[in-house]
Formats: sequence, C-alpha cells, structure tokens
Amino acid sequence: MSATVNQTPAQLRCGDRVIQEILSALPGSIRRLVSALPLYVQEKVEEIRIRQGRPLVVGLSSKDSFLNPEGQLTGRAREAYQVTLNDMERLIHLISGSSLYALEEELRNGFITLPGGHRAGITGKAVLDGGRVRTLKYLSGCNIRISREIKGAATRILPYLIEGRCGIYHTVLVSPPRCGKTTMLRDLIRQLSNGIESLGFPGVTVGLVDERSEIAGCYKGIPQRDVGVRTDVLDGCPKAEGMMMLMRSMGPRVISADEIGRREDVDAIEEMLNAGVKVLVTAHGSSPAELADRPALGHLIRSKWIERFVILGRSRGVGTVEDIIEGKSMRSLGVK
Amino acid sequence: MLKLIGAAMVVAASGLSGLGIAGNYSRRPRELRTLRSALQMLETEVAYGATHLAEALVQVAGRCDRLVEPLFSRAAAELSSSSGVTAALAWENALINYYPGTALKPQDLSILRSLGSSLGISDREDQVKHLHLTMEQIKTETTGAEEEAARNVKLWSYLGFLGGLMIVLVIY
Repeated sequence: MSATVNQTPAQLRCGDRVIQEILSALPGSIRRLVSALPLYVQEKVEEIRIRQGRPLVVGLSSKDSFLNPEGQLTGRAREAYQVTLNDMERLIHLISGSSLYALEEELRNGFITLPGGHRAGITGKAVLDGGRVRTLKYLSGCNIRISREIKGAATRILPYLIEGRCGIYHTVLVSPPRCGKTTMLRDLIRQLSNGIESLGFPGVTVGLVDERSEIAGCYKGIPQRDVGVRTDVLDGCPKAEGMMMLMRSMGPRVISADEIGRREDVDAIEEMLNAGVKVLVTAHGSSPAELADRPALGHLIRSKWIERFVILGRSRGVGTVEDIIEGKSMRSLGVK
Repeated sequence: MLKLIGAAMVVAASGLSGLGIAGNYSRRPRELRTLRSALQMLETEVAYGATHLAEALVQVAGRCDRLVEPLFSRAAAELSSSSGVTAALAWENALINYYPGTALKPQDLSILRSLGSSLGISDREDQVKHLHLTMEQIKTETTGAEEEAARNVKLWSYLGFLGGLMIVLVIY
C-alpha cells in the first residue's frame, strides 16, 4: 500500500503542472494511471470522473475516454480500469483532508474545492432534514474538474469594455456551459484589478462574489487563482446577499459574480447600478435575445442598463469570442 | 563488609524493580485518563469547531497532557505530510510509534485502533458517536486499571524489597 501512496518526487515532477496539483487528491492506484498519461494528453485533461464499480473516465477537451489498467486511453468500457470501493474510500479521505464532518456545507452544495482551486463534484445518497438536503452519505461518484487559468484570455476584449480613462462598462458575459466563461471572467477581473499598462488603465478595486468557489477557487478563504491585487473575494456567499455586503463593506468600483439568473440576483444588480458601481457578471445563454426571454434577466436587459454583451462560444475552440454587442443599440461592435 | 555491600545491592535491585512494576500499574490509569480528556478535546474541535482533522489534532497536541502529546502530534504530522495519507493510516502509524513507550495494555491499543478506521470519514454526529464510544471504552478500562493499581502498587513496592531481603537471608 505504501509503495503506491508514497510516490517518489521524480514521478510527481514529470508531467503537466496543473495535473500535479490534483494528483495528491487521488488514491494511489488512480494516481498512477493518471500520471502515466503522456504529457500532451495530461495537458488536455479537463475532468476525471470516478464512479465506484464503474470504469474510470477522463474528460479531454475534445471527447472523453476510458483509462485502462496500464494507464492508456481506450474507447472500450470493458477494458477500462474499474474503480473499487477502496479507491472511493481513499479518494473521499484525500479530497476531504479526512475531515468530512467539517464539510457539511460543501456536501450540501455537492462539491469540495481542492487546493489549487480545482473542484471535486460529489454524488451519493442525500440525507434529508425537513425536506432539505442536510448532507450526503454513501459517497459513490466524484468528478474532479480541473480548473486551468489562462492568463491573457481577456486581453482581446478588454479594449471594448474600458470606458474613458479608468472606468468600465456594465458588462454581461453570455455563454453556453463549458465555453470558457469562468476562465474569461477570472482573467477580466485579474487584469482590471491589476491595471493594464498597454491601455493606460490604472486598476480598480473589484469585489467578487464567488458563490460556487469557481472563479477565485478559494481554499480556506484564500484565493488559489490569481484574481488580481485589488480584488476582494467573498467566498461561498449567495450572490445577491454577497453583492450587497461587498458594496456596503468594501467600497468596490466593480462588482462581479458568476451565473446570475435568479430574481434576487437581478434585484441586487439593479441596486448596484443605482449605487454607481460597475457590474461585471456572466449568464448562461447564447445571445442577449435569448436572455431577454428569461423571466428575471429579461427585465434587466429590457431596461437597457447593460452596456456590453460579450458572447462566447466554441466555434474556434473553447473561449472563442463570437461577438461583442453594444447594449443600448444592440448592435455588434464587430469583433473578429 | 563485602557481603554487606552485596546484600544491600540485591535488596536495592529487587526493590527498584518492584517499584518499577508498581509504577507501571499506577501509570496506566493516568495515561488512560489523559487519553480520555484528549479525546474529549478532539470531540469539541470536531463537533463545535468543525476544525479540519489535521488542525484539530495539532490543537489537541498543544493542549493535552505531555503523556499523550506524542500520539496526537505524530498523527497530525503524518496527516499533513501531503503524501496522500488517510486519517486511518496516520492514526495507525502514530499508535505504532506511541504504544511501546507507554504502560498501556494490548486491549487499550485495540480500542484506540478501532477509532482510527472511523476518524474523519463521516458526518459530525457520527464522528461524535465514535469518539463517545471510544471514550466510554477507555473509561471502563480506566476503572479496571485503577482497581488493579490499588491492589498492585502497594503489593509490588513492598514485594520488591521484601523479596530482596528474602534472597539475602537465603543466601546468607
């Protein structure tokens, strides 16, 4: 057992840097398979899906694939490595730091944030308390989503979002799931917060409400991702409440949040707009017209407060900027 | 004269070993009691503080009696050594290291061992239940150990010297 647990540092060193960070969260057997993958495959790994009694799956940027017991990719499920009960137990130990009891809130939300800002989604049997999920037990499925920071992802769109010398427009990033929305938002926040020399932008205080710990990837409250020097992060806080808290307490120039959509989120954003704080948020969707049909968001869009819509897609790979739309006239600003 | 020195040495040696055995009998209940109060601290950290296990163990190691401190600080060190060690393994390793230097009996070791397998792996209520069970078992052992100590401490501390004296008399 100890031979697989205590891998030599040399084994851990060779391979993709980001994959290294999550290796220590994997049980020995699975760790060996993942670290045996060639470097060019490791670089493309987006998620590792571990389901008890079922084949081990790695999600690559293009497709997903099984891993066989030799650590090679295979398309056939019956050749794949089968995850054992022991693997699952060790995995839970490792991702929870052997402190499952301290992670009840996280289990309620269905995921645990790992050091490095990666997240482990978890399924099992829900334990109910008065009709609400209290915690999960019999944990049997885990999806480790690898978060990759792409510095400079937002460089191309920044000139369209900066207003005058030190202001920005109220912006909504619109994108279907898995199109690089969060990565884009993170880099936007980082650059706005640090300041952008090439554009003569001095850098502004950003308040970030990171309800799902996806943007800053906080581990014990400390951002694991670079979100800039002037960014205050409120981790794990409901967006609507968090925005109000940040506005009152931290005096931000820009307030940012991921995946708005509920009525109370929109109400909080309107409060921000009235208070003169700039808003930088994301929403699921594929176009502003589609957002306008949603019950809560539609109201916000029709009120013409939002000045820029950035549409993301996958037409030329993850994170393609499909279009940037001016909010008042709803005309494209012609981004290629 | 030489005989007298020899006789004194025999009495001293057998007396001291008697005291040693008596010391072991009186140490065991003390160790069990400190273990129990250390586990009580751990329970507080787990149940009310929701402290992560590695941190909780460090806290307990910092505050508990130095008789059991090595157990908790070793377990904490093992757990935070980032080589992918589970709590069960860290606890087991710490026990293996701690046990030989104590007056604890094998049954005490197995009580502590069984705690390891459930440490950190379930929700708060369940953790508290397991800790209570262990503390309860330790309490039972403590009572037994105290009775044993009451019977044996005096016996052995006299028996050592008297035995020594008897040997001297026989040889004389």
